[in-house]
Amino acid sequence: MKRILRIALRDFVAIAMTKGFIFGLLVMPGMFGLMIVLAPVLFDDGNFQVEGEYAVIDPTGAVFPAMNATLDSGAVAERRREQFQRLLEDNPALAGTPDVVRNVASAAAEQAMVAELGPAPNVRLVERPPDADVEAEKAWLNEESDGLRHTALIVIHDNAVEAPGPDAELGSYDLFVAPNLDERDLDFIHSSVREAIIDARVARQTMDRDAIEAILRVSRPASTTITADAEQRTFSGLNMLLPIAFMMLLFIGIMTGGGTMLTSMIEEKSSRVVEVLLSAVSPMELMAGKLLGSVAISLVTMALYIGLGLLALASFAMFGLLDPWLIVYLMIFFLIGFFVIGSLMLAIGAAVNEVSEAQQLQTPLVLIVMLPWLLWLPISRDPNSALAIAASFIPPINSFGMVLRMTSTQPPPYWQVWLSIAVGAASVVGAVWVAAKVFRIGLLMYGKPPNLKTMLRWVRQA
Amino acid sequence: MNTAVRMSGVTKTFGKMRAVDDLELEVPRGGLYGFIGPNGAGKTTSIRMIMSILFPDSGEIAVLGHPSALEAKDRIGYLPEERGLYRKMKVGPFLRYVARLKGVDGPDLDGRISGWLERVGLDGVERKRCDELSKGMSQKVQFVSALIHQPDLLILDEPFSGLDPVSMRMLRDLILDEHRRGATILFSTHVMPQAEEICEHVIMVHKGRKVLDESLTAIRNRFDPRAVQFEPLVPGTRTAALRSIPEVEGVTPGEKGVEIILREGSDPAAVMRRIMDAVPAARIELSRPRLEDVFVQLVTDGASDDDAEHLRAELQDAETTGATA
Repeated sequence: MKRILRIALRDFVAIAMTKGFIFGLLVMPGMFGLMIVLAPVLFDDGNFQVEGEYAVIDPTGAVFPAMNATLDSGAVAERRREQFQRLLEDNPALAGTPDVVRNVASAAAEQAMVAELGPAPNVRLVERPPDADVEAEKAWLNEESDGLRHTALIVIHDNAVEAPGPDAELGSYDLFVAPNLDERDLDFIHSSVREAIIDARVARQTMDRDAIEAILRVSRPASTTITADAEQRTFSGLNMLLPIAFMMLLFIGIMTGGGTMLTSMIEEKSSRVVEVLLSAVSPMELMAGKLLGSVAISLVTMALYIGLGLLALASFAMFGLLDPWLIVYLMIFFLIGFFVIGSLMLAIGAAVNEVSEAQQLQTPLVLIVMLPWLLWLPISRDPNSALAIAASFIPPINSFGMVLRMTSTQPPPYWQVWLSIAVGAASVVGAVWVAAKVFRIGLLMYGKPPNLKTMLRWVRQA
Repeated sequence: MNTAVRMSGVTKTFGKMRAVDDLELEVPRGGLYGFIGPNGAGKTTSIRMIMSILFPDSGEIAVLGHPSALEAKDRIGYLPEERGLYRKMKVGPFLRYVARLKGVDGPDLDGRISGWLERVGLDGVERKRCDELSKGMSQKVQFVSALIHQPDLLILDEPFSGLDPVSMRMLRDLILDEHRRGATILFSTHVMPQAEEICEHVIMVHKGRKVLDESLTAIRNRFDPRAVQFEPLVPGTRTAALRSIPEVEGVTPGEKGVEIILREGSDPAAVMRRIMDAVPAARIELSRPRLEDVFVQLVTDGASDDDAEHLRAELQDAETTGATA
């Protein structure tokens, strides 16, 4: 046992104390943190301005004036103020906005609004005769323009404002646009035409638009989650975030330890140091030492990421939403996954001479580890489906499957969790047994790398 | 209990190739044994089986009284044929690591490491990374790693390959020191003169089978010497008179003087006296049978002269490669 621990310690120190490992360990949380800081800047589309000239064929004669009114600069400004006001009310992130900004008449508010909603659109409407030839008008979209770009041709249906009969349905509009139009331009055109048609319909019915809007508006309150010992504002993303976060931890844990073990094994084999080690320890002691060293590497990695995750939860006062037992189970399933996948990766490392040779043999394992990424959405959405249950019992993906189910909104009963652990433990025994046989023979095999068939023969032989 | 290594009926195959075939050998405690044979004879496979790195298909192996070397690894020093060090590790930590794996620890370990490095002429390299060492230096470091725990049994697989003559002599002296200390030594080589120079006893293998297992003295006695190296006292003296001695089969010019081949069954001592009577000698020496000749004689017994010559050429090639590798 002392020898196994010595090998584990050397491997751990040799990997954990390298600049590359420390850099790799910190790079992910670093990038995450950087993204949180930079994302608002990088993905800020506040500077996007809707621009263009829209041609409108309006046989109803009511929509074009309504559109003109909708797109009138004064009306646009008014709508934007209302939109901004609603944004302030609904968005808790903006709750700390100074009162002066809430007073939308002030200059500071105008600035804040531009920052939040982007510059006001710059659109010009051109009316075409009601009987204009649509085909001919389409060519206009690709005509060169000195001023605003010809962006859209809007053809309002005859029955868009008023239905021709009591049972007839109301019509809509057709939209033709210039090539390479931005999504946000398109959204703006649709919403503007929709507003104008609704305005025209309301006016035709001699109804009051504001009154209707008031009737339809029901504000959506933020929900509060009640846990056994606290109550806090519901974080709706947590249910989606938790499974993916746990699965990522599992994936990172297994691949970090497994990967480093594979490369260190190949290095020991290619530098021929392995035979020196074998003069002091048995192949099984060597394998056990390497597995323990790498599991320690993975545990350090996971401890850091879990710690950072808990810190993030605590800083958003959401610590109480995470059941600490989930972390305990995560570690159990990590150990199962690591020893199954890791021991097979170690066997591959022992069987080949170079990292490039390992890639081919490693592919099936990597595909297996990637499988849960495909299953993440279906399992999270329906954690009790046949697929989810199968995935949580079939090794070697059962660790991933069960962790996904346990972190979902409908966790499985505990007997299933423990059954999956038992299946996992049995698969660990099987994988280590197979790996040990390949390991023992592969260690001193040089020359042509083995294929899967050869490795299976080794398993039968050893 | 007086046997350090015993192999009984050991066979090992790799696919269709029989690397070791029903091998029997016994190395007594305190012995200095050479395990010789050309490349591919099965030496390394046998050594790996002794070390329990490979396992035989059949047969039994006992090492230092245990059925497996795994139970006595702390008492065995092993220098594999393929030299290997952790490239990025420093020499000091590497030797400390190997020593601790071999059960040597404690406050005097560092002193022991420095002492050994000094003995092999590498004082002060503890802080150097292994990938900064020359090939010869690496080999010495590895040699130290095999000896650091003062093993009872020292197994060396091709210990001199790649060494310059000075380093070779230094390691040879260290091996002899270890032998004097009481360690059993088994070393393999395909360069037969090396074995001839150091060993007390030789085990010769060919194609996985043992062809000879005798002490060097016995070999020399058994393989009847029939050649005499002769150098006349006065250089340039005609040696035709030598041919008239009835026991002399032939005389061929050598590097210095001539080589006299005796007839089979003749008594070398008596013939040598007659030679000196016929032509005064500056030097007369009975040629010892070289292991290489013994080996060729053993494995080509009954084969054609061409086969023997071919094998001899192969061995000489291997020798040259071994000396320059």
